[in-house]
Amino acid sequence: MKMSRLIRSEIRKLTSTKMPIAFLLVLTAIAAVNAFAVIAGTDMDGSKTFISTEADQQSLMAFAANAFMGAGLFGAIAVAREYGHHTVVPTFLASPRRYRAVVAQLVAVAIGGAVLSFIGAGLTIGAVALSLPSTEFGFLVSGAHVAQILLASAFAGAAGATLGAGIGAVVRNVGGAVTSTVLALIVAPPLVVQLANGTASWMPNVLSGVLAGVATDVSTAAAVGALAVWALVPAVVSLVAVERRDVA
Amino acid sequence: MVQSNVAACPASAERSAVPESSVPEAGKLVPVASQRFGARCKQNTKLRALPFGASTPLRTAADTSRSSLLRGKSMTTTTPTVTAAISSGIGPPPTRQGYQLDVKHVTKRYGRATVVDDLTFSVPVGRVTGFLGPNGSGKSTTMKIMLGLASPSSGTVTIGGYRYRQLPDPAGTVGAIIESDAFHPGRSGRNHLRILADATGVAYARVDEVLEQVGLASAAKRRAGTYSLGMRQRLGLAAALLGDPDVLILDEPGNGLDPQGIREMRDLLRTHASEGGTVLVSSHLLSEVEHLADDVVVIHQGRLVTHGPLAELQQTASLVRTHDPAGLAAVLERSGATTESQGADRLIVRGMPIDEVGQRAFTAGIPLNELSPRAGSLEELFLTWTTDPTKKNEVIQL
Repeated sequence: MKMSRLIRSEIRKLTSTKMPIAFLLVLTAIAAVNAFAVIAGTDMDGSKTFISTEADQQSLMAFAANAFMGAGLFGAIAVAREYGHHTVVPTFLASPRRYRAVVAQLVAVAIGGAVLSFIGAGLTIGAVALSLPSTEFGFLVSGAHVAQILLASAFAGAAGATLGAGIGAVVRNVGGAVTSTVLALIVAPPLVVQLANGTASWMPNVLSGVLAGVATDVSTAAAVGALAVWALVPAVVSLVAVERRDVA
Repeated sequence: MVQSNVAACPASAERSAVPESSVPEAGKLVPVASQRFGARCKQNTKLRALPFGASTPLRTAADTSRSSLLRGKSMTTTTPTVTAAISSGIGPPPTRQGYQLDVKHVTKRYGRATVVDDLTFSVPVGRVTGFLGPNGSGKSTTMKIMLGLASPSSGTVTIGGYRYRQLPDPAGTVGAIIESDAFHPGRSGRNHLRILADATGVAYARVDEVLEQVGLASAAKRRAGTYSLGMRQRLGLAAALLGDPDVLILDEPGNGLDPQGIREMRDLLRTHASEGGTVLVSSHLLSEVEHLADDVVVIHQGRLVTHGPLAELQQTASLVRTHDPAGLAAVLERSGATTESQGADRLIVRGMPIDEVGQRAFTAGIPLNELSPRAGSLEELFLTWTTDPTKKNEVIQL
């Protein structure tokens, strides 16, 4: 069976339920929170210096770290529910070489994560841009930096979704997959940083910041590579696990 | 395309004896048995090159048309071989390829628990085979092993000589219901099938066709989560039929179906078998299996209890009427038969040919007032097979 057909099938799975709409609503809510922060938020001294420079505004709009985490949850839910609803059974019957089905699933989820993150970044940028006229500051971020934020979000979203999908395929139930993803992306990184000095630069939120142009801990290429490793390790583990285990 | 016709019987035993190492790979020439339903020992063995989908000598125009719809290929005309077969007066040829299922010494263990224990049987072409056993007897696990969803601890299952994983066109060869609720409740029935159509390369037109076939066309746009149990079964059946497969492996397909639905499913499966397809159906609805199946395979605690033509299995008991049923029962049980008292002067005898029952009664000097074959109901036989402790480790031979 052609891989393109399997990927198309997986994309249809993602688009034929209300899950993407739910995530879009969450993204819209995040954008609204950003707009509210711009309109009503102040620094400790009551000023609005947090949006007074291009760097400040870029930092506010840098969506990549959120994208990595949000897309991680998206990927985990999208894949784990396949096992919960047993829809993985007809998938593996159609593609008995399971690694092909899993690769198709990872690709489709990565595409979904990238698209959702790109939209999320766009909504955030749009919300900030629309709310800035209510302040004394204009929109200061250059077109190149806007593009960087969008692309960084898309890449981080793809990587996060792949990571979540890998976890979802290993854990195989939605609750467990979501919990594991939260542990991996929110709980574990600070603990690891506490235990091993020098690892802070390689945590997803910092790497995403580098891609979005709001952090300089490592080079852009290193950030891309490191985020890819974060995504691919659980993905490869899931490929091995799915091939070896019986389908429940 | 290479073809050779042989006049011999199907020789399923010979096919079963093919060593594991001889399981062919895709792309190689392999023999494919195709037995016409109802024509005893009339066998047509073809050698054909994989992958499937190319027009084969015994496919009819209608079948070719169906394949065209499935794969988007242009329709070809009936081959001369088909025309000759029809005009020879031997009846309509099978419209499906014959894929016999061979389960050989399959064992499945989960930790210390043995779920399937050295199971060996075959599911022949052109017949409906019922797969019976109490809850937890290993039926579903066996079916999952057949479909590559679970790995056996030892043994092999082949479909037409291939493991499921090696089939070049799995969805076009085997249709299956394993989980009756294998769909997302928020997805419409049509979208569920379109997803499978995407994955298997089947045209969307076929989706509407199978929805119509299983009676779900009017509910195609509804979310599957709103379907009744019977409608869910129909959706599962539609998914199984989507690739127009030659082999059907169905786990409890009648669950939740109303009487009309059960009848429609029975007709569909019988038609499928009569076209030369292979059908394996597990069910706990014994009366339904009695109406549907040509053969049965019965397992209990993971082990094979009996298998064979249902009609023959139902004739394996004898009814004896005598003035000394207790004495006769003792004589027969000493010789390995099982007996069941039926009133003051009647015995049901199993596990012994009727001639031998008469002979042993005569030798023991016990006069018989009646000795006749007794056809038991499937339910009665099933309970005997699955509760009689003396049959626990014994395969009932016909």
